[in-house]
Amino acid sequence: MQRFAEGPISRLLPAALGILFVSGPVVAPPVQEGDAFREARERMVREQIASPALGEYAVEDGRVLGAMRTVPRHLFVPPDLLELAYADRPLPIGHGQTISQPYIVAAMTELLQVGPDDRVLEIGTGSGYQAAVLAEIVGKVLTIEIVEPLAEDARERLRRLGYDNVEVRRGDGYYGWEEKAPFQGIIVTAAASHIPPPLLEQLQPGARMVIPVGPPLQVQMLMLIEKHLDGRIVQRSLMPVRFVPFTRNE
Amino acid sequence: MTPGRERLALHLAILLVSAVGIAYEIALMRVLSVAQWHHFAYMIISVAMLGFAASGTAVALLRDRLEGKERPLLAAGALLLTASLVACYALSQRVPFETFRLATEPAQLRYLLALYLILAVPFFLVSWCIMLGFLLEPRRIGRIYFLNMLGSGLGAAGIVALLFRVDPADVPYVLTLPAALAFLLTALGRPRLWLAGLALPAGLLLLTGRQPIRLSEYKGLSYALQLPGARVVAEERSPLAVVTAVASRAIRETPGQLSGYPMRELGALPEQVGLYFDGGAVSVVSRFDGSLERFAFLDFVTGALPYRLVERPKVAVVGAGGGIEVLSALRHGAEHVTAIEVDPSVFHLMRTELREFSGALYERGDVTPVHAEGRRFLETQADGTFDLIQVALLDSFNASAAGVHALSESYLYTTEALELYLRKLSPAGVLSITRWLKTPPRDAIKLFATMVEAAERSGINDPRRHLAFIRSWNTGTLILSSSPLTEGQLAAVRSFGEERGFDVSYLPGIGPEEANRFTVLEQPLYYEAAQRLLSKERSDLFREYAFNVRPATDDRPYFSRFFRWRSLPRFIAASRGGWFNFVEWGYVALVATITQAALAGLFVVLLPLLIFSRGEQGAERGGVMLYFAALGFAYMFLEIAFIQRFMLFLAYPVYAVSVVLTAFLVFSGVGSYVADRRLRAGQSAGARRLVRGAVLLIAALGVLYILLLPPAFRAAAGWPDAARVASSLLLLAPLAFLMGIPFPVGLQLTSNARPSLVPWAWGLNGAASVLGATLATLTAIHIGFRAVVLFALGFYAVAALALARLTPATTLARERADGGYAP
Repeated sequence: MQRFAEGPISRLLPAALGILFVSGPVVAPPVQEGDAFREARERMVREQIASPALGEYAVEDGRVLGAMRTVPRHLFVPPDLLELAYADRPLPIGHGQTISQPYIVAAMTELLQVGPDDRVLEIGTGSGYQAAVLAEIVGKVLTIEIVEPLAEDARERLRRLGYDNVEVRRGDGYYGWEEKAPFQGIIVTAAASHIPPPLLEQLQPGARMVIPVGPPLQVQMLMLIEKHLDGRIVQRSLMPVRFVPFTRNE
Repeated sequence: MTPGRERLALHLAILLVSAVGIAYEIALMRVLSVAQWHHFAYMIISVAMLGFAASGTAVALLRDRLEGKERPLLAAGALLLTASLVACYALSQRVPFETFRLATEPAQLRYLLALYLILAVPFFLVSWCIMLGFLLEPRRIGRIYFLNMLGSGLGAAGIVALLFRVDPADVPYVLTLPAALAFLLTALGRPRLWLAGLALPAGLLLLTGRQPIRLSEYKGLSYALQLPGARVVAEERSPLAVVTAVASRAIRETPGQLSGYPMRELGALPEQVGLYFDGGAVSVVSRFDGSLERFAFLDFVTGALPYRLVERPKVAVVGAGGGIEVLSALRHGAEHVTAIEVDPSVFHLMRTELREFSGALYERGDVTPVHAEGRRFLETQADGTFDLIQVALLDSFNASAAGVHALSESYLYTTEALELYLRKLSPAGVLSITRWLKTPPRDAIKLFATMVEAAERSGINDPRRHLAFIRSWNTGTLILSSSPLTEGQLAAVRSFGEERGFDVSYLPGIGPEEANRFTVLEQPLYYEAAQRLLSKERSDLFREYAFNVRPATDDRPYFSRFFRWRSLPRFIAASRGGWFNFVEWGYVALVATITQAALAGLFVVLLPLLIFSRGEQGAERGGVMLYFAALGFAYMFLEIAFIQRFMLFLAYPVYAVSVVLTAFLVFSGVGSYVADRRLRAGQSAGARRLVRGAVLLIAALGVLYILLLPPAFRAAAGWPDAARVASSLLLLAPLAFLMGIPFPVGLQLTSNARPSLVPWAWGLNGAASVLGATLATLTAIHIGFRAVVLFALGFYAVAALALARLTPATTLARERADGGYAP
């Protein structure tokens, strides 16, 4: 993934060429994009995220679906994987990190149950895609990335796309962002042997935390952590797919 | 130069080249274990066999054109080998292969294939040199074969010694020296060639420089090195693993979720140094100044449960590593801790570079460090020695979740292992094992099943009263107690769960609502599984569960293999295209390797033979193909089975590989040498008798070993390393000796009767070996070692039957007319 770190120009070039190819000369405004990507995004929402075939696993929150339709995911994936940007799968972004499967991003966002007045903390910015989706819905997104090149790239990318309600910090997310606490939602994408206790403290009572759990490029389950108003913590293990390991041979 | 000296030079060259070949093979296994994960060891075996087979085919097909040019071509082979050792290694480290992307990125299959082909080149050249040796001394095939085997055996022994001193990444460079020496020997008396020849590898070395191992970006060490302020503070190596110690303020590993830990009150975690084994699994060393106060957090993980059940225990920690479980024992008031660790590098680091940092933890009066494999050490202890035996969380959370250990033999989690732990416990003692949990549930269910069976086999009538199981969202701790848990102990488990927010998944008399409160699963699967495992429905559960949760045994010690083929359609249906979410990576890699080995055997060996050899003798060819394919499978099946069997006895995989390979190669070489001498005096009927006799004896020994090895290993567990290695060599010698007989005898018979079929013999044997190495592993995983041995004996039986078709009547008539067949 060396190419990914080369610089914004080379990264955007293939995307820009793709846009030119699809829609002819770009007039204005500069972020306008071809129908191909908009259509791909629409199809992604329709088939992967909101499909009735998913049953109880379908994402229904209109704001989340709107955000998924709006954020240009193809600008968050490495150029050589551009054609897979809207595919139903996670993609590697270098440094052992991943941009999650679209459905997982939507499901985590919905699980947080946050709205325009809320402040959300994200640990593990990665490409910045999850932060952008959240930024479409909530008032403020604070996101911390420990890998410097990823943090720099994400900050630059989000700035360029006009997400001025996202603040990216490079650093160790273990102690959260105390000055900006409490948060009405927290997403921890960096897997760890334990949930950092400071994050639980910075979660506002009544709010939720979501953690995708699984090895690289896989999500085995989503951990939903609810902090009740009395401070009690209840965790729920949710599988992103329907699977019952017990079977009966009838 | 006299012919005698020339011959001596040739023999020495063959010896050196063979040693280089096997040493390179083992070094590459280590390189790939560091770069990716250890299941690629199997890939290297089949890569090497592919190289050997391909060059066998090439030499056999080009035989006419090689005539008269053997010597320069041998020298050229040795020269190219010298250059390829570094070139192919360096090139392979530039292939951007990533195991984890195999299922999502089609290009990864191409990279894997590229690795396969690049790494096969040096083995092709090793075999090329040996085959030309055969051509140069057609009357001494037996001796050349013997030298080849002897050299390989010496190489296998030598590389283990080398790996203590040299990084796996540097081995290809070191091996350039013996390879260059072999070249000089083959080019004796041609000084001009020397100069030109040595310039090539030297130039290459200058060009590539030192090529470090390309570490997968998904390995723990890669992640650690990205942390703020991360720096490598020490590095240690042994043939077992390269241990890299990394310091960073952001390393904070705990043995599972800290549930309800009041960090403000009790303080942040002490500073840690991460020890990364082969760049993967991590074990942390904590800063320790003698005060245990800062280790209060260790009472907030599920693994603290046993300390609520026993007071001031004598503890044995299996897999002590950097010592976090040792600190936990001390913090919880253990009277004494025996810290058992298999990797010598850990104790060495803790005595040297990390001594001050770790507060000389392993030099305290109440801690005894033991450098040994856990089971072997416990076997030597008196029964009833310990009040608590703890098996530490041995691998990292992610590696565990990804199933990269599916192919690792682990003798610590088998039914026999748990029976041993029970024997070593005091009457009120407890065994405590903590595992990372996966979704959907697997590990803890299999461990629970293993505990139930071990308890039953140890004569515990009602295991229900002896078991407890609690879990957080990412770890499960299971307890098996020597005596029935008392009312006080039952209450202690309940209150520990309640205080910390851990769910009690099993305890005598527990109900489903109690088992699913803090980390709520959609269905209380652990509770249900535990109940069924303790009822008559146990075998139904094993049959119906989507994952393999049958207890692992010493015969099938693959605790981490959960995948079942019959569940694959359900995985695919359930997982939105991400079926690999349910499949262990190690297993996927094995299946990919088998597929590649089959394709490679087909395209590199069989197709060229079909296309280029004049195939007029269909029926005879069938006999030859059957005989040599069966031998290839049989030999590899026995080799793999014994490598895996001896792992338990010799404690280290690398020792097992090296000792078994050395024994097999050297003694098979001796066998072939002796057979060859006998053949010179006899006729083909006698030759067939020789093979049949050998096969019968192999079968007898094989069955004997199946029955006698486990008790013999137990009896000799306490012997020192050298004695165990020596006795292993002695045990393997007669079997290997006999296994050396059928191949050269068959080859000689074929060569006499139908020389044009010799390429087929080589090719089929090579192709079968390529496939056999991986198929044997698959068989071991699914059916067990005993089955692998029995299959091997079956293959030998097939070979014995096919023997009759090797020398048709026409040949015998010709032999009689010639008055013997000696070449």
